[in-house]
Amino acid sequence: MIQVPLEQKVLSENQRVAAGLRSALEATGTLSLNFIGSPGAGKTAFLERTLAGLPAGTRAAVLTGDLQTENDAIRLARYGYPVRQITTVGACHLDARMVEKHVEGWNLEELDFLFIENVGNLVCPTSYDLGEDAKVVVLSVAEGEDKPLKYPGIFRKAEVMILNKVDLLPYVPFKPELAREYARRIHPEIEIIEMSATTGAGLDQWLAWLAARAERKRPLAATLTEAMQAV
Amino acid sequence: MHEMGIASSILDAVRKELQRYPGCRAAKVNVRIGEFAGVDSESLRFCFDAMVKDSPLAPLELGVDARGGDELDLGSLELEEISA
Repeated sequence: MIQVPLEQKVLSENQRVAAGLRSALEATGTLSLNFIGSPGAGKTAFLERTLAGLPAGTRAAVLTGDLQTENDAIRLARYGYPVRQITTVGACHLDARMVEKHVEGWNLEELDFLFIENVGNLVCPTSYDLGEDAKVVVLSVAEGEDKPLKYPGIFRKAEVMILNKVDLLPYVPFKPELAREYARRIHPEIEIIEMSATTGAGLDQWLAWLAARAERKRPLAATLTEAMQAV
Repeated sequence: MHEMGIASSILDAVRKELQRYPGCRAAKVNVRIGEFAGVDSESLRFCFDAMVKDSPLAPLELGVDARGGDELDLGSLELEEISA
């Protein structure tokens, strides 16, 4: 019996494409976010609110993933930003190659933000790096508070948890404090923003986070550009 | 749900590595799966076995080393020499 080391990521091909995307987005200073949540958590409505709330002149583009239909792209296109639908025809997650293919033709240098709405699923999208700067998990108060404990992978990897549909709190038994406690148990540093995509509550806090996160990335792109010009 | 794709990636890596060892067959491939990797080991094993069965790679065993992090790595491949 001979044992040979393989020592590579199982998804090394996805990783390779994601790394290419990441360095392209690094060079252009485009902040890329991967939105993950259960079906019905309100990811599309939350993105609609976000697009409607972006300051005039913001340059953003959206990719939205679903198994079938163009419905989400049609909803999102109403805000005047470029939107493309990725239909996975059965696959339960987006992968880096789908993103690479669908950003083709977009000039990343002209984009401040690339928003990627993943397929509604708390499990599979967790494994696939899309070259994003951060994952954002969307949990709604119509679900169980213990989702972070049941699906720890995504809550551990996400930089932000959007607790959506807080306008429903008077009508559901959901305890936000418990959800926060569970999320922090899995990921102590996770940023938690309470939000209602329906009423717009929490939008200011989210937009402030978005601006600060984009600001953190831009100086890096400027440094890269300078370095490239110096060569 | 995506374990079929994961199994297929593992088998691709096995086939690729085997090309470097003519005269050998793969007996077992060892992977490390973290608790937070988003991969269910039992479901992966089910997919893996279904894909290996009736393929030129059969019989090939999957070894799973369960870890605590978010790793999803190929560790090693165990080879046997094919006797002439």
